[in-house]
Amino acid sequence: MKKEESTYKMEKPPHLHIGLHKNELMWKTFLMMCIIALASVIIMGLEALIHILVAIGTVLIVNSSIYSYQVWKGKEPTYESPASPLVAGMIVGLAMPIAGPYEVTAGVALLTILVFKYGQGRYFKRKYLNPAATSKVLLLGLLSIMFFLEDPLDTGMLFHTHHYDWFIIEFGSLANADGFKEAVGFFSRDSISILGIYNVEVELTAAQGLLLWQTHGWIGGASSVVVLIVGTVSAYWLRFKWRIIASMLTTMTVISVATGLYLGGDPILRIAFHVFTGSVIFLMFFMATEPQSTPMPERSQYIFGMTLAILTFVLQLLNVLGGSVIALVILNMATPYLDKIGIKTPYGHKESDGGA
Amino acid sequence: MPKKDEHIHHFKEEGGFEMDISMKKGSIDDPFTEVPPADKMIVFLRQHIGKETKPLVEEGASVKYGQKIGDNQDAGPMVVPVHSPVNGTVEEIKKIKHPISMEQEKAVIIKTEDEGKEPYYNPIDPDKASRKELLDRMREGGIVGLGGASFPTHVKLSEERDISHLIINAKESDPNLACDVRLMMEKGEDMIKGIKLMAKMLQVNNIVFATRTKKGEVPKFERFLERNDINITRIRPNYSVGSERLLVKEVLDREVPSGEFPPAVGAVVHNVATAYAVSEAVIRGESLVSRGLTLYSKKTGGRNLWVRMGTPVSHVLQNLGTSPEIFDRIAIGSIMMGPTIPNPSYPIMKATSGITAFTHSESSPYEKQKACIRCGYCNTVCPVDIYPQMIMEAEKKNNIDRLKKLHVEDCIDCGLCSYVCPSDIKLTPYLRRGQSKVKKSKD
Repeated sequence: MKKEESTYKMEKPPHLHIGLHKNELMWKTFLMMCIIALASVIIMGLEALIHILVAIGTVLIVNSSIYSYQVWKGKEPTYESPASPLVAGMIVGLAMPIAGPYEVTAGVALLTILVFKYGQGRYFKRKYLNPAATSKVLLLGLLSIMFFLEDPLDTGMLFHTHHYDWFIIEFGSLANADGFKEAVGFFSRDSISILGIYNVEVELTAAQGLLLWQTHGWIGGASSVVVLIVGTVSAYWLRFKWRIIASMLTTMTVISVATGLYLGGDPILRIAFHVFTGSVIFLMFFMATEPQSTPMPERSQYIFGMTLAILTFVLQLLNVLGGSVIALVILNMATPYLDKIGIKTPYGHKESDGGA
Repeated sequence: MPKKDEHIHHFKEEGGFEMDISMKKGSIDDPFTEVPPADKMIVFLRQHIGKETKPLVEEGASVKYGQKIGDNQDAGPMVVPVHSPVNGTVEEIKKIKHPISMEQEKAVIIKTEDEGKEPYYNPIDPDKASRKELLDRMREGGIVGLGGASFPTHVKLSEERDISHLIINAKESDPNLACDVRLMMEKGEDMIKGIKLMAKMLQVNNIVFATRTKKGEVPKFERFLERNDINITRIRPNYSVGSERLLVKEVLDREVPSGEFPPAVGAVVHNVATAYAVSEAVIRGESLVSRGLTLYSKKTGGRNLWVRMGTPVSHVLQNLGTSPEIFDRIAIGSIMMGPTIPNPSYPIMKATSGITAFTHSESSPYEKQKACIRCGYCNTVCPVDIYPQMIMEAEKKNNIDRLKKLHVEDCIDCGLCSYVCPSDIKLTPYLRRGQSKVKKSKD
């Protein structure tokens, strides 16, 4: 035998792979979100479709420009498939308010792909902050503090002066809270124009409206029931960090019921309002589980979900639109710390040896 | 022969991750084919977990089948002798890169003269032999664990602590190996004699036969077990439970403390193929110079072969009518844990439970590694509850303290973290490097 003769490729084990690769995972996530997008377009109309297309289009243009530049320079493209940027674009589209201007959606999409997806990945070697959530908080936050802008909903602000008139922590039924009736009126309009349905005969209660279809608010939250079904199937199929979903949903429900019982009124309406209003439910399944910016240890995921629920709830009580997105960005910043505190005790060790 | 649907189709790991074991199914029904020795046999002087043996023969010496050609009694109990697999002449003793340690180690090159296989040692009457006689035969016969670790069997069987259970590991977790099940089908009676001998040496009454096979999959062998009052424990179809530490937990619900071995919780685990080797060494006087293994490739399918230690892989392949040149890479051992060899001249050793060969058209699934997305699949699937991704980060930063806190030393090298990684990152090498860095920091 010749000492150094090598005819075979040398490779460390293992030599077998389960077969589910990153791009496939991204395409499947995109496919699942398309179902939610379809429901949103049916309920909210063509405006929703335009928002989604603007977000996806912006992301794709930026991504293909960077891809072409990287190939031209002979560098390895950051994303060899458009699947991951497409998911980011779809999240932006679904995370925007239907009443917001398309330019703002394009702006959020641009920030998402350029700064918080490519930029963050390149300079920090990891995405610490959820790209879509951070872009939205940043841009809408900036718009909100521009005192010279008026405050109609179509500026896309996070704060709206007329929302301050609502007072949803007063004693008595939430349904009677100042401004709530008006808001619910927005949420469950009696027509689905895209399907040619006008003047729906069945009158929905506020809770039913929040669960079934909302023609106001975030695009991704148009139908909470669709998000619940598609999100649950996706979480199981694609192995999302389900502990975040479970703990956030449970905590939100528990504190909603507790608040309802303390203040009086219908606890179901409380749950419907806090869990389904805006796009909390969409965020819960598709943004709060974004793998890079959320903790890995199982216990940390529970803490993350619970804290996210509490923060979201508090911001909702303060009438901050997009409170869940702000809460998510804050929690993303805590992820490196949470990664250290929830480590499981490995096999063969005592509990006291556990945490790292 | 069992019906097809009596076999298990896949393993299910923590987190619901599945492992297709159809590769194994194909070879279960293939009887062992004996591979004749090659013209030149390459016998490494270390085929066990301990230190290298010293050659007991010189170049030009004649050797008999089963004769001891390397030993080193002064190097402690972890050393076991190696034996000649053929009647022949020692052509050369030289250093060659060892396929497991990847270091230059001594090997005896023997020119085969004939295929005779008369046992070198005298048989021992198992009923009359003392415990010491049996243990001495284990060492003298060069018996080591055949599950892959090559731990000296006489050391495991001479345990002085209180042992309540002898667990026979017939789990055969590797998704492409079936030689153990095949051995149960073909050599069941001898295997049970070996199990009884092990129990005698260990002085235990409780024997647990742990298998993943379904009831009726190896009916004849099951009847032997019943007749000998050996309990069958059917283990859930799962890859990682094949590790002896995890098997103890699964069977006895006892957790082996970190850094310890199963005797620390009153259990000794032996591989089912080792039981057969024990029986052969005592009853027939056979040294451990051959073993059953499964060869798997898409070209050949799964084949069970009986091969002498020292037979080059090229000879094994040629014997099946396959050219070694059609392969791009060859792993010695299982598809999950086997290291690759640089060329087909590398020999079969005591630890070689399989040969997994990939043709040029089968590219590695790990060829294009992508950036980690922190999905957490790796820590979800990890059977010992460590965090491979975090360990990888700590290893890259050379952060020894963090590696210690993340318990990198508890990794059992199963490869599951890499197997499930959607970014196609091979995490296992990072874990191994992490382990070695921690070990060095303690030295």
